[in-house]
Amino acid sequence: MFLTRSEYDRGVNTFSPEGRLFQVEYAIEAIKLGSTAIGICTSEGVVLAVEKRITSPLMEPTTIEKIVEVDKHIGCAVSGLMADSRTMIDRARVECQNHWFVYNENMSVESCAQAVSNLAIQFGDSDDGAAMSRPFGVAILFAGIDEKGPQLYHMDPSGTFVQFDAKAIGSGSEGAQQSLQEVYHRSMTLEEATISALTILKQVMEEKLNSSNVEVMTMTPGNLFHMFTKEQVEEALRNVCPVEHPLALNVSKQRV
Amino acid sequence: MSLAVKPHYPDYSNAPIQRSFNPYADNGGSVVAIAGDDFVIIGADTRLSAGFSIYTREQNKLFQLSPTTVLGCSGCWCDTLTLTRILNSRMQMYQQEHNKIMSTEACAQMLSTMLYYKRFFPYYISNVLVGLDNNGKGCVYSYDPIGHCEKATYRAGGSAGALLQPLLDNQIGQKNMLNVKQESVSQEKALSIIKDVFISAAERDIYTGDSIQIKIITKEGIKEEKFELRKD
Repeated sequence: MFLTRSEYDRGVNTFSPEGRLFQVEYAIEAIKLGSTAIGICTSEGVVLAVEKRITSPLMEPTTIEKIVEVDKHIGCAVSGLMADSRTMIDRARVECQNHWFVYNENMSVESCAQAVSNLAIQFGDSDDGAAMSRPFGVAILFAGIDEKGPQLYHMDPSGTFVQFDAKAIGSGSEGAQQSLQEVYHRSMTLEEATISALTILKQVMEEKLNSSNVEVMTMTPGNLFHMFTKEQVEEALRNVCPVEHPLALNVSKQRV
Repeated sequence: MSLAVKPHYPDYSNAPIQRSFNPYADNGGSVVAIAGDDFVIIGADTRLSAGFSIYTREQNKLFQLSPTTVLGCSGCWCDTLTLTRILNSRMQMYQQEHNKIMSTEACAQMLSTMLYYKRFFPYYISNVLVGLDNNGKGCVYSYDPIGHCEKATYRAGGSAGALLQPLLDNQIGQKNMLNVKQESVSQEKALSIIKDVFISAAERDIYTGDSIQIKIITKEGIKEEKFELRKD
């Protein structure tokens, strides 16, 4: 007998006969409604670039915070339900501080992702022990520097986390991931990566890219977490190729 | 007024009955550690005693926590057993959680927090933690029972700690000496000083004696040695 999806997508902890957890899959779908975020990891450091959706001219753009500091050496870009992301960021921060308190050393990026992953799967509809009644509707890019050097991790609502050289999340992620695959190379400089990230963001964004609807952060061994100021974003945007064509990426690379 | 002492019959007294609980034992023992540029040596005597009796003459008090970290414990032996078992499990959990072996610095901080978490019922142990840091340099950390941690290059702890520390201050730290040039101690000199100070301690301290277990930690690994002391 064919079972319709609706019978098994009510409970968050009920597998469908095909072995799927629909609520988790829906949560992953929810990310695709979120704003686009791009992360690129180079040997010099990691860059995160995020689109901010300014839905009203009366809105104060600086109050939308999609890139946050977790610790001095770890930063996060989030996409999806921002309120859910607060809980996860808070956990990441607490875990990093606790690690420092107990071991007097910086938490590795992987361990931080692991700690947040532990929270991400603590959902359930029972009264006991669950941190959340539904899966968290957030995807996170962790950018950080640890003893292994610059690192980029991606985590989705199922709590699965994987290390990436370059990763895009959010509404434009499919196109952006394709573009990232084309432009990424191992010897990329951080400046090249910043330009590439912004160029790709420009391609996938509906609005015109400007210094108030994008957030850029670099994570380098020297400066650690560094959020671009408005002036620095404008400076970076000047290097972004004006032509909206995938071939343009190669041009911008030569210019660096 | 009579000078005779008034007899006291507790069964017929209304005074509150006092009971005492002594959860701690002092099983003695001393630990001495000396760090150099590329090595660290730690030694502990092997006598386990209580008051005037000796439980055993061959009790090792050095615990290897990782390939580059060793802990020396003296004081209440039952607390040592519990602390080192918890430490070993924490080392294993750390390795499984973070996919790396805990560094000596991290271990030093963890021991401090673990001791402080028992702030109001402390482990009655004098701890000396030694190891190589991330640069391969020898380091020594000493603790009080409630977790105060101090990084040093040499340290004596345990029952003869107060007896030996000034000796090390002079011989290793070159304290209170005129016209000496500060140079780091060699492995051979450190080893012979450790043996010498334990011989001295065994002369004066009844809780230190029998023999010493010595561990020499270098980047090549850990070498172990035994050295006999007087047994009376």
